[in-house]
Amino acid sequence: MSGGPEQGLDRKLIEAHGRGDGDTLTRLYRQAAELAEQAGDVDRACFFYVHAYVFALEAGHRDADAIRARLRHFGRED
Amino acid sequence: MNALDRDTLGAVLQPVSGARGLPNNFYVDAGTFEEEKRRVFFDNWAGIGFAKDIPEPADARPINFLGQPLLAVRDREGRVRVFQNACRHRGMILVDEPCRLRGMIRCKYHSWVYALDGELRSTPHVGGPGNNLHEGIDRASLGLVEIRSHVWRDVIFVNVSGDAPDFETYASALIERWRDFERPLFHGGADSSFRLDVATNWKLAVENYCESYHLPWVHPGLNSYSRLEDHYHIIEQGRYAGQGTEVYNPSLGDGSLHFSDFADLPARWDSAAEYIAFFPNVLFGVHRDHAYAILLEPTGLESTAEHIEIYYADEAMTGPEYSSLRAENAALWKDIFVEDIGVVEGMQKGRHALAFDGGKFSPVMDEPTHAFHHWVASRFAGG
Repeated sequence: MSGGPEQGLDRKLIEAHGRGDGDTLTRLYRQAAELAEQAGDVDRACFFYVHAYVFALEAGHRDADAIRARLRHFGRED
Repeated sequence: MNALDRDTLGAVLQPVSGARGLPNNFYVDAGTFEEEKRRVFFDNWAGIGFAKDIPEPADARPINFLGQPLLAVRDREGRVRVFQNACRHRGMILVDEPCRLRGMIRCKYHSWVYALDGELRSTPHVGGPGNNLHEGIDRASLGLVEIRSHVWRDVIFVNVSGDAPDFETYASALIERWRDFERPLFHGGADSSFRLDVATNWKLAVENYCESYHLPWVHPGLNSYSRLEDHYHIIEQGRYAGQGTEVYNPSLGDGSLHFSDFADLPARWDSAAEYIAFFPNVLFGVHRDHAYAILLEPTGLESTAEHIEIYYADEAMTGPEYSSLRAENAALWKDIFVEDIGVVEGMQKGRHALAFDGGKFSPVMDEPTHAFHHWVASRFAGG
């Protein structure tokens, strides 16, 4: 990620990775995905949704199904 | 198996009066130990751990079983399951320390994700960045490799090869023998759990446990209340061997507090207790007011970890009111098991004597030990 709102996210993501904080990772990767989706960059959005989904599954996060639905929408998850 | 081995095993398989014990290579030879892993442990139902150590759903515990990385998990329905602790992608270890999982199991390498039933639930970027799908990745066939498992008397048993009869069949004779004790077990907690690390091959711990012959010599403290002649042999060829006593009479504390007995026991258990080695590596003891299980973990050819866990008949026995009584009971057993260390380690040293021929059994006193030797030898003689 570089520049704009993603720059702040980048730092927070690294910090969350350092803490192994699955809930925050889920939230931040989803946020990054939604920013990319709003910008019309589907591949970039899906890259971040993949990460959000994986950490949501690991953390038992309630958003896992919603994130999966976005990936399914783009044909990237079953 | 060469002709020499066949002759040697043939001698073990004779009736006890004419038999010799297992030869030295079963105790000191790395090649035999490797073969034993498969023939004795993986092809049968062996103990690997205790269900009490994963008490809640999503509890996970990695277990190294003779070099096999296994993962014991309690799934969302409360069932204990055992998997190969390796990701189906690159073989990375999935869980490296006991933990309570919040959600699913994520491989730390490329983040493939597995549900607690082993199902492969996501394969991130497997079809390229941002794409979790690829026609070459059939998730249904890529779940965690499940190892056949069964929990009995709180011990987690596994049959790694998958070829043994189902556990209830394999253990039917002992289950039936101890039908009276098919009751819930309540682990006594931290004061009822201990481990002894012993410099011996695991089989010598089984052999020593099977027989009462050594009691007056190694456990002289027992002579006053549990004499040699009060014991009887227990043998079920091909499954288990051990000993029983007719004079179990617990006397812990000042007598003002007693452990509850297991419910509805027939009168014979008022004074009887039994100690059985369930082949290959679990030693059980049952008494009217408590039971224990000893898991023998072969940590090497000449080293064994003995994991001792003590259980009671009633949840109230696990509370603080009984803590000093539990501690006293655990100390009593620990003293006895520690007394055995000198002889099992001494026999291990003796197995390096080149001219030792497996040993000569007492036709009367060593029948249970020979039954175990016979079972081990039969695993090897079977081709």
